[in-house]
Amino acid sequence: MRLKLISCEVLFREMCDACAHSPHQVDLEFLPKGLHDLGGKPMSAKIQEAVDRTPAGNYEAILLGYGLCGNGLDGLTALHTRLVLPRAHDCIALLMGSRERYQAYFERNPGTYYQSTGWLERGKGLQQLTHQTVGIDEPLEALIRKYGEDNGRYLYGELTRYQSHYSKLTFIETGLEPSANFLAEAAAEASQKGWSFERLPGDLAWLRRMVEGEWAETEFVVAGPGQRIVASYDTGVLKVQG
Amino acid sequence: MPDLDKLHGAVIEGDWKAAAAATQAAIAAGVTPLTIVTEYLVPAMDEVGRRFECEEYFVPEMLLSARAMKASMEIVRPLLVATGAEPVGRVVIGTVKGDLHDIGKNLVASMLEGGGFEVIDLGADVSPERFIEAATTRHANLVALSALLTVTMTSMKTTIDAFATAGLREKVKIMVGGAPVTQHYADAIGADGYGESAAAAVALARRLVAP
Repeated sequence: MRLKLISCEVLFREMCDACAHSPHQVDLEFLPKGLHDLGGKPMSAKIQEAVDRTPAGNYEAILLGYGLCGNGLDGLTALHTRLVLPRAHDCIALLMGSRERYQAYFERNPGTYYQSTGWLERGKGLQQLTHQTVGIDEPLEALIRKYGEDNGRYLYGELTRYQSHYSKLTFIETGLEPSANFLAEAAAEASQKGWSFERLPGDLAWLRRMVEGEWAETEFVVAGPGQRIVASYDTGVLKVQG
Repeated sequence: MPDLDKLHGAVIEGDWKAAAAATQAAIAAGVTPLTIVTEYLVPAMDEVGRRFECEEYFVPEMLLSARAMKASMEIVRPLLVATGAEPVGRVVIGTVKGDLHDIGKNLVASMLEGGGFEVIDLGADVSPERFIEAATTRHANLVALSALLTVTMTSMKTTIDAFATAGLREKVKIMVGGAPVTQHYADAIGADGYGESAAAAVALARRLVAP
């Protein structure tokens, strides 16, 4: 099969590896991780643009390297080529290999901040575009410059308070890391913030099944031309309409 | 007569010191606490909400306006309580169980307070039991649920179901909001309303508690 993969860059190393081992010919296109910061509707509009500019008749399917991602994939419509999307809430589930494993881990480990190579090298957190609109991750000096000493310090306190809700950093190790630097960087960040640290083995089998064309109904939604992918708000995460 | 437009302007500009000073001056000059809230603070926060809607203001500006509004409310609230004035409504607000994100919820809480509501803020990661307890003991007529993650959105349904099981569903209106939440989801889980933004949340809350 000839397949097109449109993926978030946060999964860059994992997708490149999976495609290299796929029996199929997969053309890759990565979109910025910062799309998440735009919010659900603008994000899905950007992904829809990428889907729509894929030429008709070239591919058996367009694979999407995403999950529901805060409704960033909600409402996506297949134009001429079917769309394949994992039934995942987000990339953490994809890196863990199943939504059940993610759900169980999430419930057992409240207040956990997740990292992987993509999260470390593709910009910290989800904040690439939010400096102006939310102010998260703006350094104290920048806030003081913009809002004055008193209000700047107040804003810094308000905008960094969320960090006090976190108590743990989990680094998902996929085995694709070229050196121990990523792990060391994540561990150092946890220590600097006073959080506990866990090194969790990832599982890339789910991603591999996507690029290998094994799209079981339980793991993927497949939308044919004219059909829409929408959030299902149940354990299946996503469903197809139309 | 003190220059109360200064108070209005101070809230919009996010100048808490000026807001507090203008409030003190107004009280000293005999302006009633209720007038300060309904004719100056509420319209000022409505204007802040409007500016946010049209992307003239962003989260930092809203936080500063909320701070200025609160500085005024700190002075006015005890006087209001003394007059026995009833708030527009009593709302219990929190981020649902499993979700620790609270910036959006805090903004909505501030906007509701600025909109004349008594706000009981339970913080983040709030269990259905805590929502029910607070709504009951504080005689709230409105419950506002927030979530930032699609993983935790289902806690909104669990919370609404818990109110029904406790036989309290008819006693309170429940509104939901947060980045991944949609009107469709609000309808699906039986919420009474959905607010797309902090300003929309205040308008919705007013509608829901209207007699």
